[in-house]
Amino acid sequence: MKEPATVRQDRPPPSAISPVAALVLGWVIPGAGHAYGGTWGKAVLFFVLITGLLVGGMTMGGGTVLLPDRLWCVAQAFAGGPAIAMWPLSQYLARRPPPADVTPAYNAVAPYPGIDWADHLHETGTLYTAVAGFLNLLVMMDAYLRLAYPDRHPRKETA
Amino acid sequence: MWEATSGFFSNLMAPSNPIWWYYPLCAVAAVVYKATKFDTPRDIARASLHFFLSVSAGMLVLGWAFYLIITLF
Repeated sequence: MKEPATVRQDRPPPSAISPVAALVLGWVIPGAGHAYGGTWGKAVLFFVLITGLLVGGMTMGGGTVLLPDRLWCVAQAFAGGPAIAMWPLSQYLARRPPPADVTPAYNAVAPYPGIDWADHLHETGTLYTAVAGFLNLLVMMDAYLRLAYPDRHPRKETA
Repeated sequence: MWEATSGFFSNLMAPSNPIWWYYPLCAVAAVVYKATKFDTPRDIARASLHFFLSVSAGMLVLGWAFYLIITLF
């Protein structure tokens, strides 16, 4: 019978690993908690997918979906560093008035005259960024639990 | 019933249907969720595909059932 794949050796010694540090790192940069725990394959996968969802959602919504004064920002904030870094850009784009030759959307309201709230792409982009936040929360919890309770997570990763 | 069913699927498959935007989201959610459950790339890929297809098919059947109920009654 084939043995399970080899255990990765490039993680810090167990005494130096802090599950809370993995949780915080995972919030600052999606996937960094897993990189800290030594599972680099998953770290890269999570970073690419979660940051990709954020950037995709921002692009879809015309760059105006990450607004810190909307309830969605609670979910979006879990995506951590990249989401918070994009807040000022999103606010700037949302507060910019539409060009003179473009009729403002009928539902555009202050302080965001540049947003058409009925645009389904804006809505979908907002959902993408919110789901990115919730997925990062899941990833952060996974990084924490794998280090806090290593016996429940036998290491078999080969990526 | 067949007319309603064909109408449902033609609307569903129309390129203008915004539902197409949700498939990538579902796929990414499936991969991230299953990557927290499994460790080997093969297991992750298999479980993600299973999750994605199950959720998509389940939603499709649910949508079709509601559409039939609304259309026929």
